Amino acid sequence: MIDNPYLPIKTEVLDVIEESPTIKTFRLRPETPLHFKAGQFVEMSIPGKGEAPFTPSSSPYEKDKLEITIMKAGRVTSMIHNLKKGDVVGLRGPYGKEYPLSEYEGKEILLVGGGVGLAPLRALFLALVHDIEKYKNVLFCCGSKTPSDIIYKDSVLDKWQSLDKKKVKFRITVDRKDDSWKGNVGLVTTTLDNLEINLKNSFSIVCGPPIMMKFSTFKLLEVGYKPEQIYLSMEKNMSCGIGKCGHCRLGNFYACKDGPVFRYDKISHIHEIWD
Amino acid sequence: MDLYFINKPNLDRLVKSLSKTYKIFVPVKSDNSRFYKKIEEGLRDSVIGEIRAVEPIKSFYFPARTKIAEYFSKDDSDKKEKPIAIIGAKSCDLASFKVMDYVYAQEPFKDPFYISKREAGLIISSDCTSYGETCFCVAIGIMPYPTEGFDISLSEVEGGYVAEAGSLKGEKIIKEYFKLFQSADPYIEKRDSNRKKLKEDLLEHVKKSKIPSKDSIQPAFKNKFDSSLWEEVAKTCVECGACNMICPACHCFILMDQKKENGFERLRMWDSCLLMSFAKVAGGANPRKLLAQRMRNRFDKKFNFFPDTIGRFGCTGCGRCIEACPGKIDIREVLSKLEG
Repeated sequence: MIDNPYLPIKTEVLDVIEESPTIKTFRLRPETPLHFKAGQFVEMSIPGKGEAPFTPSSSPYEKDKLEITIMKAGRVTSMIHNLKKGDVVGLRGPYGKEYPLSEYEGKEILLVGGGVGLAPLRALFLALVHDIEKYKNVLFCCGSKTPSDIIYKDSVLDKWQSLDKKKVKFRITVDRKDDSWKGNVGLVTTTLDNLEINLKNSFSIVCGPPIMMKFSTFKLLEVGYKPEQIYLSMEKNMSCGIGKCGHCRLGNFYACKDGPVFRYDKISHIHEIWD
Repeated sequence: MDLYFINKPNLDRLVKSLSKTYKIFVPVKSDNSRFYKKIEEGLRDSVIGEIRAVEPIKSFYFPARTKIAEYFSKDDSDKKEKPIAIIGAKSCDLASFKVMDYVYAQEPFKDPFYISKREAGLIISSDCTSYGETCFCVAIGIMPYPTEGFDISLSEVEGGYVAEAGSLKGEKIIKEYFKLFQSADPYIEKRDSNRKKLKEDLLEHVKKSKIPSKDSIQPAFKNKFDSSLWEEVAKTCVECGACNMICPACHCFILMDQKKENGFERLRMWDSCLLMSFAKVAGGANPRKLLAQRMRNRFDKKFNFFPDTIGRFGCTGCGRCIEACPGKIDIREVLSKLEG
């Protein structure tokens, strides 16, 4: 019999990192390594309870472990948030289309992330940084609701800031500040003004909540990006992960097998993409 | 393919022999409907002709509830079952295999449960000898007699059936039991005229539904995408999902995990795109919040997505959804409203 694509791999929770009041990162080690590419997703399950799709947030170059950053949002994610070091979960995948890294070579790369949408972009960012000489430069625009909602604080606010500033730059903003915040205040779209990027030689990649994706995409079009220069990670109800269960259909595509990474011009005509 | 004649007693003998290898299901009649029944002792009260059974053929290959994985347990035993043979499957059900095969047998993730049943199974189809009030296959280009997707097909004629092999598997069976068959020559003309007559009668029957011509359905759907038609159609929908369950081409499912004595198991169950939560994600976003959007989505999938994807409709004109709908939503009527 051919391999059963619905069968999860037994996976150990190695560590749980609290990123924000509603977001945790889970460090995982599957019994059989699971090699994903940045942008692809996996199905993570609580044994006997249920399963949900997530895009790993760790470097795809890390071979036997991976990290998944998860916001407490529904039934399965609430159970996942109760997990502790040493617990066992299920994983299957990776599924779907990754970010086309080879197309990004020699280009100026703009990453636009909001909230937990930073998760797939972190995997992408780490993949870009891994071979940074291949890319002209990277600008990472990160938006969060408040300073306490910023995820990967150690990296975003500290570790990544020591990377070569000629190659890697950041624009970090919060919607609402608190007393401790000295940085930018405003929606992530405000970081897209005055881009010091040669738009003709650039790709932008957006990931975040639906409303943020919508307005960021429109803003990118407004500042001069063409639809074929914008990549989106679409969040749909990817239940089986393999193009069969029907839940994540998006026009003539299934987000799980034709996405979740889509070039905007390929899906811009589809109704309901931002909902 | 070559044609043969098999008389009724010989068909019964053939079925009895095949039951050593296969679990055999044949339609039997109850009141005025037909249901598949597992038979062990020949054809008896089975109905080979007439019209399709109430249940769609998908229920044999993609059952309503299937255990698709046992995990983190020791006994992942694989128990062998006899393959399934369906006798008396109709053309509308065979057409649904085009959709199901596309979904479940496509690369790179083939569905092992579906594929093993399909590969090992046997389909002995048969011509419709009448039509039901809700039948409209001919309106969307499907004939009321099998043209593809069978191993052997039977056309009822006086005293027996004209048998046609449609696959190597079918040919092999006919060769193996060759003494049960005779020359079909005296019966071919009658078979063809029966087919022609039923097709004409059915065309006449569907005329009053005013369904757009086969080739104009998809463009008409696209034109009506933003119209108020969908709100109108959705008015009497009670979101029961019956149309999805009974549809031979509806393939969507939901996964469900549960604990078992030793480890865990994962179940796959039929799902319905008309239910509110079908496309909803954990954060609460739902691309099809409104029932009218979900109603449109059902037609989008059948008459827009599948024509683009596999060059055929995701509807076979069997009319089961018309009978099943408590809101009296009639797919023929909806199609008729796409134009104009």
